[in-house]
Amino acid sequence: MQYTEEERAFIWLCCVAEADYHSRVALLHAAPSPEALMKEPEKYFPHAAGARYTPDARKRAEELEAFLSSLEKKGYFAVTLVSDDYPESLKHISLPPLLLFGKGRRELLKRRKFCIVGSRITPPWAEKLAKNFSEDLSERFAIVTGLAEGGDCAAIAGALPGGNLISVLPCGLDECYPAAHASLKEQIAAKGLLLSELMPGETAKKYSFHARNRLLAGLAEGVLVVSAAVRSGALITANCALEFGRDVFAFPHNVGSVHGEGCNELIKKGAYVATRSEDIFSLYGIEKREKKARQFTGEETRVLQVLREYGELHAAVLAEKVGMSAYETAAVLAALEIKGAAVKAGGNKYSAV
Amino acid sequence: MIAKIVCYALNGLEGVPVEVETDVNRGVPAYDMVGLPDAAVKESKERVRSALKNSGLLFPMNRITINFAPADIKKEGASFDLAVAVSLLKASEQLVGVNVGKTVFLGELALNGDLRPIAGLLPILISAKGHGFTRFIIPAENAKEARFLGGAEIYPARSLGEVVGHLVGTSPIEPLDTISYIPSSNAYTSADLKFVKGQPMARRALEIAVAGGHNLLMIGPPGTGKTMLARCLPTIMPDLTFEEALEITKIHSVAGVLGAEGIVCERPFRTPHHTATTVAMCGGGNKVVHPGEISLAHGGVLFLDELPEYKRSTLEALRQPLEDGVITVSRAGGTVTFPARFMLCASMNPCPCGNYGSSERACTCTPAEIRRYRRKVSGPLLDRIDLQVEVDDIDYDDLTSDTEQETSAAVKERVDGARRIQTARFGDYGINTNAEMGERELAEFCALTREGDDILRAAFERMHLSARARARIIKVARTIADLDKSEYILPKHVFEAVSYRIYDKIG
Repeated sequence: MQYTEEERAFIWLCCVAEADYHSRVALLHAAPSPEALMKEPEKYFPHAAGARYTPDARKRAEELEAFLSSLEKKGYFAVTLVSDDYPESLKHISLPPLLLFGKGRRELLKRRKFCIVGSRITPPWAEKLAKNFSEDLSERFAIVTGLAEGGDCAAIAGALPGGNLISVLPCGLDECYPAAHASLKEQIAAKGLLLSELMPGETAKKYSFHARNRLLAGLAEGVLVVSAAVRSGALITANCALEFGRDVFAFPHNVGSVHGEGCNELIKKGAYVATRSEDIFSLYGIEKREKKARQFTGEETRVLQVLREYGELHAAVLAEKVGMSAYETAAVLAALEIKGAAVKAGGNKYSAV
Repeated sequence: MIAKIVCYALNGLEGVPVEVETDVNRGVPAYDMVGLPDAAVKESKERVRSALKNSGLLFPMNRITINFAPADIKKEGASFDLAVAVSLLKASEQLVGVNVGKTVFLGELALNGDLRPIAGLLPILISAKGHGFTRFIIPAENAKEARFLGGAEIYPARSLGEVVGHLVGTSPIEPLDTISYIPSSNAYTSADLKFVKGQPMARRALEIAVAGGHNLLMIGPPGTGKTMLARCLPTIMPDLTFEEALEITKIHSVAGVLGAEGIVCERPFRTPHHTATTVAMCGGGNKVVHPGEISLAHGGVLFLDELPEYKRSTLEALRQPLEDGVITVSRAGGTVTFPARFMLCASMNPCPCGNYGSSERACTCTPAEIRRYRRKVSGPLLDRIDLQVEVDDIDYDDLTSDTEQETSAAVKERVDGARRIQTARFGDYGINTNAEMGERELAEFCALTREGDDILRAAFERMHLSARARARIIKVARTIADLDKSEYILPKHVFEAVSYRIYDKIG
């Protein structure tokens, strides 16, 4: 990876020299350019609280070189505030990250971005719907999301095949949270883009999720919340989005369903209701490409109709309403499931998508 | 004088003939036993001495040597007592003119001369008959299990006195009447599908599982009747044939758990607790190898309640017997192969709190917890479980409703029909059920239509099924088609089979 002199000085300031976020910002304001900071740190550093540097100029250069080659070795790149492809949208949020580490398709940073998030416990129908949304939206947007189970995973599942996917980690790029998704993380690095504002080796802390969620909202033009309890990380993202002036969409949930109350609350406060991906496309003036219609047999259509009418239904109850035996209905439901028109919700209950 | 008496030792399910040779010499009174007797066999001296005395017979005060031949296998247990006593009588010339050469003596002695029952009598009788012995003297309490052996003279004796009376001819014992085998009508079990309220999906899965010999996993919240459903399995399984019953009885006889009926005429239902060790499950023992739970479940059902609670190593040990239908146990006492063709039925909660998927109570588990819980059951074991079904959370109205439910007998009729189709199909292939099909049979009997193949392909992509799951799904589809009396596997059969792979989706 080639870096300009300015970028190199910036990386040195952010990764090699010791300072906290605010001292770094103060230093950048004090010096005419980042290069000047690295060249003559003794001129500016004494004024910044807690900032430290290596006095020997040659050693400074060596340290920076070592850091850059360690990034290179792992296939990471660094995007700085002064880089060409630093996302414009991030510059306007509170505390924009001075530097982002990435792995994968760097060009996605320049694309239009849309964020899909959901709580770790997401009802199966919402997961399925989120996957469909993510698949549709990823044709025009890079989908921004996290790496957790539930809503994030559904968004990943939809966008990963096309590769238009940015996953922002709550930890350094070396780490993986949740650990069980290590292989998923590798797939994203190969097909999409992984981003993190933390040093590669840093582990996830309680507060890093909050900070990460601000990035999710900051990167995207809009945020779709697929599921959220009253207290949920997805709501933090939504609140950040509101704060940064992004559009917020939410799936409507049944009244009283624990993992959807946050979504309903958002809608009450004025979030857009999203039930089809067109709802989102139309807001951005994009025309959705028509997909091939799915073919259903007579029995399947009948079952689907009843499902649509009643929402979530137990297979046996459904069988009664359609007038088939329970096991015949199970076969039809499996067919619908394979065709992607119904999903199983646990406890032999199904709902249409 | 030397006397030779035949008795039998057990090696697994096989009886091994043992000759008890007794020599009574003049000399300082002594009593020596040779031929690898264990402690219980050596102690027979005291039992035999008292039993002889209390039966009005003499214990010879001479130099006595007793040899167990062949001398190189270990002799264990008290079943040689009667043979030792009779050989002593013969050697000390108290049974002059009695021919005991072709008679097998079996039984343990009490101090007052009574005969006590022994474990493993039926397998011994069957082996001995194969070796050409046709006359047996056995403890009267073992008579019930011996009645099923035809073509032999079997004399049940209550005491040593009766044995001697019979041998010298003063009071002959009536030989046992052999009786023919009648399959049980499950008269004494309380389980019946008609008592199970609701659960249409689980009922159907039970029926398919039994019809094709598939293994079954029931997933459901606590207290929804998983155990009750499992208990109904034996009631819808086909009746035991005499050969099956005999084989099961042999195993139960060796393990010493044979009931009062003398023969196992109902399919076994074993429920080992989840603290069971691998040895308890698969068989083992210190010197003599005893059958484990999986062998006791041979021909019937092995029910593992709360599957994830079992020790992982114990569950992994089930994998090989599930494939082969036999278990080979090696111990210091030798290597023994026990039959272990059982139907595995397991149950588990959907998540640690048990409420995942429940409409009444909210699940409080995090996805990571659920994943950890489910990972306790390994993939390879799950792969051997063809049918996975969710058991519904029943509400109070269902419980108290008195809608007539189908009885086990009605379901059993359909199962028998499907089994008949399978027997006709696999006549020359050496297998009985769809679940036992190998690659060859799959190719021959389970050709999928173009449409069926498309469905499976779509299912693989949508549901991320493992490649190994394919053959399993096809086998289940074959069974469903058999229940439907359809010669070909139709798309709806494949769809239904796919719907029983829920663990692949939620796991």
